[in-house]
Amino acid sequence: MSKNSTVRKRGSLAAFLRHSSVPIMFIIICAICIPLSGLSPSYLVNEIVTRMGRNSFLIISLLIPIMAGMGLNFGMTLGAMAGEIGLILVSDWQIIGIPGMVLAMILSIPFSILLGLFCGKMLNKARGREMIASYIMSFFINGVYQLVVLYLMGSVIPIKHSSIKLPRGYGIRNTVSLLSMRQKLDNLIPLTIKGVKIPVATFLVVLVLCLFIVWFRRTKLGQDMRAVGQDMEVARDSGINVDRTRIISIVISTILAGFGMVIYLQNMGNIATYSSHSQIGMFCIATLLVGGASVDKASIGNVFLGVILFHLMFIVAPRAGAAITGDSMIGEYFRVFVSYAVITLALIMYETNKRKTKILEGERLKLEQMEEEAK
Amino acid sequence: MNETVTVKEKGSISGFVKSFGLPRLIIAAFLIVLLILSPFVGADLPSQITNIIARFSWNGILVLSMVPMVHSGCGLNFGLPLGIISGLLGATLSIEFGFTGGLSFVVAILIATPFALLLGSIYGWLLNRIKGGEMMIATYVGFSSVSFMCMMWLILPYKSPTMVWGLSGKGLRTTISLEGYYNQVLADFLRISIGKLTIPVGTLLFFAILALAIWAFLRTKTGTAMTAVGSNPSFARAAGINVDKIRLLSVIMSTWLGAVGILVYEQGFGFIQLYMAPFYMALPAVSAILIGGASVNKASITNVIIGTILFQGIVTMTPTVMNNLIKMDMSEVIRIIVSQGMILYALTRKTEVSK
Amino acid sequence: MKLKRLLVRLIAILAVVALAAVMFVIGRGHTVYFDNKALETDDASYEPFYQVQVFVDDESVAKLGAGDRGMVSVMGQDFSMILHITPEKDAKKVGSAVKLTLPYAMDGIILNIPALLNGAPEEVYQSEFIPAPVEEEDEEVILSDEFEMPLEG
Repeated sequence: MSKNSTVRKRGSLAAFLRHSSVPIMFIIICAICIPLSGLSPSYLVNEIVTRMGRNSFLIISLLIPIMAGMGLNFGMTLGAMAGEIGLILVSDWQIIGIPGMVLAMILSIPFSILLGLFCGKMLNKARGREMIASYIMSFFINGVYQLVVLYLMGSVIPIKHSSIKLPRGYGIRNTVSLLSMRQKLDNLIPLTIKGVKIPVATFLVVLVLCLFIVWFRRTKLGQDMRAVGQDMEVARDSGINVDRTRIISIVISTILAGFGMVIYLQNMGNIATYSSHSQIGMFCIATLLVGGASVDKASIGNVFLGVILFHLMFIVAPRAGAAITGDSMIGEYFRVFVSYAVITLALIMYETNKRKTKILEGERLKLEQMEEEAK
Repeated sequence: MNETVTVKEKGSISGFVKSFGLPRLIIAAFLIVLLILSPFVGADLPSQITNIIARFSWNGILVLSMVPMVHSGCGLNFGLPLGIISGLLGATLSIEFGFTGGLSFVVAILIATPFALLLGSIYGWLLNRIKGGEMMIATYVGFSSVSFMCMMWLILPYKSPTMVWGLSGKGLRTTISLEGYYNQVLADFLRISIGKLTIPVGTLLFFAILALAIWAFLRTKTGTAMTAVGSNPSFARAAGINVDKIRLLSVIMSTWLGAVGILVYEQGFGFIQLYMAPFYMALPAVSAILIGGASVNKASITNVIIGTILFQGIVTMTPTVMNNLIKMDMSEVIRIIVSQGMILYALTRKTEVSK
Repeated sequence: MKLKRLLVRLIAILAVVALAAVMFVIGRGHTVYFDNKALETDDASYEPFYQVQVFVDDESVAKLGAGDRGMVSVMGQDFSMILHITPEKDAKKVGSAVKLTLPYAMDGIILNIPALLNGAPEEVYQSEFIPAPVEEEDEEVILSDEFEMPLEG
């Protein structure tokens, strides 16, 4: 009995180590790099808190498609673009501060819904390869976004202010200043503890979103989504409209990503019109995975752990690299490599696990069949 | 061309559209319109055509490298950067060892080959363990390996003064000129010039040889086995084919073709591009073969040729025609929408997902 | 049942639209410029003060000598400020609170303080700020589908 339980314990320890190998690896990387970087703890804490406020909302937008079994939603970039369009319009209309943010979010909703519906429909057609399809989708819609922003804005869609319009008369400039709403949400409720500035209002918004996610899991729709995520066939047999449920999950994710982008950009204080959204998808996905999530399972805890570990690595790696090799570029490339390697690793683990369970399932079925025949 | 096809498919235009694919048809029509328009808007047609042929000759083998993996059911080779890295290692090492002229090209291929075999085997082994999820993982294997090599280009002890940064004396440059090495070696072989029109016959011949070799290979016993694995893996397994081994072979072939492809590209382009450059080289190649009529699990040499011509045709023609026509350079946006849209279209087609 | 659901949705959409409309009104930003400058009209002329200090939301936003211009960004159309005016050198400071409604359509609004305080009509003390057109080179937008090179975070 006692022997049995130790075995089980050891087994669960091994399982724990395997499941959280990525976070553990990152803890080790950070532990090595932080002293080498020579950055002060107060600076690091400040940076992490800022980034947590800035990125959490975006990352949480990834959770719902994972719940619905659609994997990592690389198409969240679509929502980010919708958010940017909202912000560009709002800054042309000179709506500033928090009302400007709220209006930009509202404006992003119709775009997000449209893009989300399109994306969801496409992903339903590309079943079994949702991730690569959503990934290519982000490139495709990026082309459409560029068409709209660079050629239609100012010529078809009225843009008044020359501060955001290209001098040639149409198209949006490379950067759009958001000075009038810069960190307005972060500083709405000012709080500084021991030199660490805490964006209380932003965290409150994130908290509301977390509560929404927790609540959503328990609704009928949320339950349906989990059922679809577990087994599409079973879900269909039990009367769930699988296609519709999957599309809704993508639409919600896209809308949330649009909101998240507005929060992200109010912290940055300007929009890099043609590149702000491009890194967002990879960044958020890598962060979530570093937090210990996998392609088919992610929780809110993964989000916050991920922000701490991934961004810590991101801040310290260049300086640590410079300290070791005397060349700061190596550190830069190192963090790029680690970001991609983490995603690669997570994808490989997910696929191998999926295959293993499939094989096990197959064997079980075979056994059952044989038993049946033996009878 | 259009006419003959309509004659053949008498009365069933919709059938033709279906078999050829609407997006492909639109793209082909678009290119034809561009070609017809170009003399009227003042673009120089012969030099445009020269350009298209040259670009076809640079990119052909990279697109060809998609074929083996598609055939064996591994999907589109988004992991092309891995092959490109092998090629880059061959190129840089060949120069480092002091080879020049045409010989440096041969040596580059010789050095790239073992790297391609090694990386291809690891890559193939990996893809065999994750059947069904190849394309996404291939993409990220490509990204990881490119960013890993970014560090290596800085760290590896290259010494050749033509390649390392002049000031620090270490770390490879981002672009390395091939002047004096294998710049234009293939293109200059039997080059034909008629007025403004020039044809790099050597490069085209090189492409033709490799394409023919692949075509012939696909008709050998192993080749047909590869097609069988791609179209119906369980049937192939039942027929006694070692599925994993065939898939591995196809991945190695694709990787090696990628390595040779980038070397041929470089000899035309005149420069070696390192660091982030290989990052997105897979996507144009993927969309080219899809534009040519391939699908996620079906590709032929014809698809490669037609696709590369169409893709490169649009890439070269749109900027000049657009600029002259509406004084608005929308070519980049059009290229992005067309090529990505094509990939998206192919991914959403109903095909048998390989198991 | 279906009707009820439709109704709920309609109300939700209307609520969001209403919220957007409210944001549209209250969030409109203006830049207000204060001129402590001489102003001449057909009927009257206004002389600048020796010094004017402008407070908006209990914060000193500008301290203007004669001939100076100050500015502040504000949100919404209800604008109020407190002016501390020193009419002449060594004279006593005079406080004065001003409240006015800004025109929605104007981005930048110039207020001539001497005219404003001496009871001039709105069209005299208030004028639109039109930024001088700047000759500039067209900036180049480089497009690509080269996504995700996370060299900055």
